[in-house]
Amino acid sequence: MYLTPRQIRYAPMDLTETADEQAFRAEARAWLEANVPSAPLPSFDTAEGFELHRQWEAKLYEGRWSAVSWPVEYGGRGADYVKWLIFEEEYWRSGAPGRVSQNGIFLLGPTIIEVGTPEQKARFLPAMAKSDEIWAQAWSEPDAGSDMASIRSKAALSDDGSEWIINGQKIWASRAAWADWCFGIFRTDPESSRHKGLTFILMPLDTPGITVRPIAQLDGDTGFAEIFFDDVHVPIENTLGGVGNGWSVAMATAGFERGVSLRSPARFNVAVDRLIKLWIKIGDPDDDTMRDAVTDLWMQAEGYRLHTYMTVTKLLEGGHIGSESSLNKIFWSEMDVRAHELALQLLGPDAERIDGPHERWVDGFLFSLSGPLYAGTNEIQRNIIADRVLNLPRG
Amino acid sequence: MKFSFTSDQQQFAAGLREMLEREFTAAHLRQVWETGAGHDAALWSRLAEMGVLSMMLPEADGGMGGSFVDTILLIEELGRAAVPGPVIETMTVGALALAGTPWAAGVADGSVAVTAALMGERYVPHTAVAGVVLLSDHDSIRAIETSQLQLTEVEGIDHGRQLVTLAGTETAGVFVGSDRETATDAGSLAAAAYLLGLSSRMLAIAGDYARDRRQFGQPIGSFQAVKHLMADALLKVEFARPAVYRAAWSHATDSDTRARDVSMAKSLASDAAQKAARSALQVHGAIGYTWECDLQLFMKKAWALMPAWGSASYHRRRVSDAVLGPR
Ligand SMILES: Cc1cc2nc3c(=O)[nH]c(=O)nc-3n(C[C@H](O)[C@H](O)[C@H](O)COP(=O)(O)OP(=O)(O)OC[C@H]3O[C@@H](n4cnc5c(N)ncnc54)[C@H](O)[C@@H]3O)c2cc1C
Repeated sequence: MYLTPRQIRYAPMDLTETADEQAFRAEARAWLEANVPSAPLPSFDTAEGFELHRQWEAKLYEGRWSAVSWPVEYGGRGADYVKWLIFEEEYWRSGAPGRVSQNGIFLLGPTIIEVGTPEQKARFLPAMAKSDEIWAQAWSEPDAGSDMASIRSKAALSDDGSEWIINGQKIWASRAAWADWCFGIFRTDPESSRHKGLTFILMPLDTPGITVRPIAQLDGDTGFAEIFFDDVHVPIENTLGGVGNGWSVAMATAGFERGVSLRSPARFNVAVDRLIKLWIKIGDPDDDTMRDAVTDLWMQAEGYRLHTYMTVTKLLEGGHIGSESSLNKIFWSEMDVRAHELALQLLGPDAERIDGPHERWVDGFLFSLSGPLYAGTNEIQRNIIADRVLNLPRG
Repeated sequence: MKFSFTSDQQQFAAGLREMLEREFTAAHLRQVWETGAGHDAALWSRLAEMGVLSMMLPEADGGMGGSFVDTILLIEELGRAAVPGPVIETMTVGALALAGTPWAAGVADGSVAVTAALMGERYVPHTAVAGVVLLSDHDSIRAIETSQLQLTEVEGIDHGRQLVTLAGTETAGVFVGSDRETATDAGSLAAAAYLLGLSSRMLAIAGDYARDRRQFGQPIGSFQAVKHLMADALLKVEFARPAVYRAAWSHATDSDTRARDVSMAKSLASDAAQKAARSALQVHGAIGYTWECDLQLFMKKAWALMPAWGSASYHRRRVSDAVLGPR
């Protein structure tokens, strides 16, 4: 209990980058400067934009930047979390395109690395890293949104046990209109209910019996789709994480989505930097209310960045994050909406124009509004925080 | 890049928490309130003996020679227990300003408590129990023994933080430094860390109550409105936390961004405390609105500290000057 001054003084918190981290940052920056397309690509929620984004992903892969945190053998760089955050900072700073590959590289990829068989790793990861195969995720069903455990789409074993035969319907699957494969959970034990008897299955979207029906999103583009399954035959080898374990495998994937990997802070820091530039350009210097609001937002984005660095240090030191990741999800999604609302407020009469004299914000605003909905609504996240972080009694 | 504390730092903070949970419960705090003592002399000696009070004092002065990074978790623990008296002032501003002076030994052994009014405070806290007051003229800092001053008591809401107005300050005292901003940043940051601890405590008290109190045949914590209220408060606290820790790093390393970082920490910690207090009170229903309920001891400390060491507007303005350019 009584420590000597010498013991105490040793203070290895270090918020500066190591030489190695600096070199990594410089390498990423140089590559991105040389390779990022000079004009923004059309939205990946269009057929043309999707293919252009796929080509960009292939280029990223050639530079070995598509999946920096994956092991080298699957096309990654084996970068630790800090380097991954550094890469993300450089990526978003450079104005590079959004990641059409995100369902695969950030969600399914880490799940396969964690629970996949050696054959599955060899089969799926390299094609994912190259974006030869782009993935859609198929959890939600018309009657199973927040209540995902109530899903009804079924997978039954064929008589010889070599295949799943799938029937049912999924909905809201992002990018499914143009994606190559999908992953999702299906009820494989017809007697089961809720979280039991579910299995995590992977399949190509051009398998006979699958019909994909695009759905126009709020912005009018085809961001997501319905997927209908009508006696779809899928080899049993495409089961991920074991029959009946679908819920826990899905929770691992969802944890990546809510936690650090899908929404790294850099995206928001860049959005807030853009907001600050907009304020400097067109803000009324005497408008203290707006000045304070922009400042608050900067603090939130910075707070999120710091929070993430604390989280990754914890992971690097062998800790793990559980339900706290729900805090992140609420924080980034609400901050993103707020940033866009403020930008539109600043734009005043130009806010409602799709292409105005200033940088475009309105499409980003529409997209930000989906943040509190997808990846588990923010109400569901608050339930999780209350039950598992604050230990309040279940309702 | 490594954003965490050493196991020594964490263990010391955990040890302090255990000691406070055992030896300084809410009942002890209530006693300080009721006797009007303004602080707890026995606890003060205990904190001195453990090296908590002198963490930031140089070894040459009999201190621990620690940095703000070594100290920040300790202040958070003191906040969790709402330790009364000029504890943050003595540990941070006092240790920085009085290092190398004849008072330093007293800071280390607990015989000299220090308070400060370096930001034009109208009411100076803790003066009645402090041996030395730090005052400023522009950028320079003077130390004055309280015995040389005339104190007029003013009643405040937090009885663990007695207030006075001072007279006789014009000429008295000894020059102890010319870097007022480093000192006020230390005070602001210490207040932020203390508020963080207070916020966690208020949420813990509310959580206990929500598990215990039943209405409509079930614990009130099972109602979603209660859950979401508390989840939102926790969100504010958990995102203020890294800002406070980073500001400790910036202060310890004398970073170029220290002013911005300290002000960000104080802004976020004050907002979090406000939200935690409001939510904790609401969860309690009418019992929370009574003198009997311990929650008040923590809420009132939070309300007193939120405007202390720079108001919300002062700190927000400093952040916006750094981020958006000066007005
Ligand atoms: C842009 C976008 C992309 C998406 N991408 C995908 C995808 O790729 N794959 C996929 O499978 N799904 C995807 N989704 C679907 C998303 O996961 C669901 O929308 C989400 O889980 C909510 O389900 P729901 O829409 O059926 O709403 P509901 O569950 O019907 O909820 C409606 C409202 O009720 C609230 N509510 C429901 N239950 C509770 C409760 N227990 N407590 C408190 N409030 C409650 C919700 O918070 C919400 O406000 C996407 C959604 C969007 C908007």
